[in-house]
Amino acid sequence: MKYTESHEWIELSGKIGIVGVTDYAQKELGEIVYVELPEKGRRVSSGEEVAVLESTKAAADIYSPVSGTIVEVNERLKDNAQLINESPQGEGWVFKIALDHLSEWDSLLDEKGYLALVM
Amino acid sequence: MEPLSFGEDVRKTALHSRHQALGAKMVEFAGWEMPLQYKGIIPEHHAVRERVGLFDVSHMGRVKVSGPDAETLLDYLSTNLITGKKIGSATYTVWCHSEGGSVDDLIVYREGEDRFFVVVNASNREKDLAHLIRESSGYRVSIEACKEEGILALQGPLAQNAMRTLFPDVEEVKPMTFLPLLYQGKELILSGTGYTGAGGYELYGAISSLIQIWDRFMAQVVEPVGLGARDTLRLEMGFALYGHELSDTISPNESVSAWTVKWSKPDFLGKKRLAVLEQSSHKRQQLGIVLQEGGIGREGYPVLKQGEIIGRVTSGTFSPSLRKAIAIILVEGNFKEGDNLEVDIRGKRVAAEVASLPFWRQKK
Repeated sequence: MKYTESHEWIELSGKIGIVGVTDYAQKELGEIVYVELPEKGRRVSSGEEVAVLESTKAAADIYSPVSGTIVEVNERLKDNAQLINESPQGEGWVFKIALDHLSEWDSLLDEKGYLALVM
Repeated sequence: MEPLSFGEDVRKTALHSRHQALGAKMVEFAGWEMPLQYKGIIPEHHAVRERVGLFDVSHMGRVKVSGPDAETLLDYLSTNLITGKKIGSATYTVWCHSEGGSVDDLIVYREGEDRFFVVVNASNREKDLAHLIRESSGYRVSIEACKEEGILALQGPLAQNAMRTLFPDVEEVKPMTFLPLLYQGKELILSGTGYTGAGGYELYGAISSLIQIWDRFMAQVVEPVGLGARDTLRLEMGFALYGHELSDTISPNESVSAWTVKWSKPDFLGKKRLAVLEQSSHKRQQLGIVLQEGGIGREGYPVLKQGEIIGRVTSGTFSPSLRKAIAIILVEGNFKEGDNLEVDIRGKRVAAEVASLPFWRQKK
């Protein structure tokens, strides 16, 4: 699993990345009550704003950690936005993306690097 | 998601260490470091709607106004009627400046023929005191800001049960009335007021008393509640929050607090300007809306009718009781319950319907 400075995580399986927000991010945001999901098939660049989390306190953008095509979104979040609080790095994943360049993976933060950022 | 940091001039309430020990997430609000939430906004909200919750609202200010002209002065400053109010009554009102904008919204308490006090918003403590002092010129009154005091709010359907264990006299305290008590020899005000619509009380008293009372409630089944749930609770009731629904540029008769404006009063500060505005086609109005799709209409977001911008959101949140996004909007034009509007949420038009206030009503 790799991380971004904007508190997303990404896990790679072949050329498909699964993306969500970190436990630190969900704690900072508070209770998530609504998720605006991206369209399947949308092409995005790394760092582009892809989804929006609405918490009881504020709205926060989710940025794509990599460039590619959105291949799947977590439909369960439509009625169960709190999954992001309950299981941010599991059932609360947000979207899957087919990576354009596997090389982008290497430039992301590893766990040690991310923890150093939020500690 | 910036890490929280507090400036050196940020004030702490006497219960600060209690909040920290409870694991509260602290935020800066109106120059005070206050608990935003303990367990979470939604469970705290439900605790108040269904059971009973305790808030530290010591950031608010209490100012005593006494003297032979206290009633006349407070009546002149208030949109609501103060003259003739019974001893032991609490009256919600707005104060205007001469141009018709709102100085603050507050509660005026009558302790005696010549003795009153007011409880004002944290963000306006200094401004209100200056306003009072300036406007009191020529009136025989003395004005004293209470120091070394705190304020607690105990709110919810079980508030009376919890309060009775400490103060058996609570039965006498009906909504919008209050009772002066002594707690360990110190003055304590038990007031049938609040900001949640859930029923309950507020307590004004010495810091030493309130710390003890906080601990005694915490030893019961009372849950601590932060400012986050305080905001969702007040918004479900359609109550104004100064700086959002009322401000220097939002007059009370345009706001959800328009009902406080008593036109039958011979005069009050700002009345002339409010009367002109009342007849003007530029007078705006505040309405409640319920969003029909996902997303939350937050403060400042544009509100549209058939593609035309008619105003903006003044407060918006997710209502934990209704499980829908709700908002108060300030718009030009006349709209009624059931009308269809739209909110521009970051470039996306989301359908909304005008709703009657309060959004939420206690089941009988």
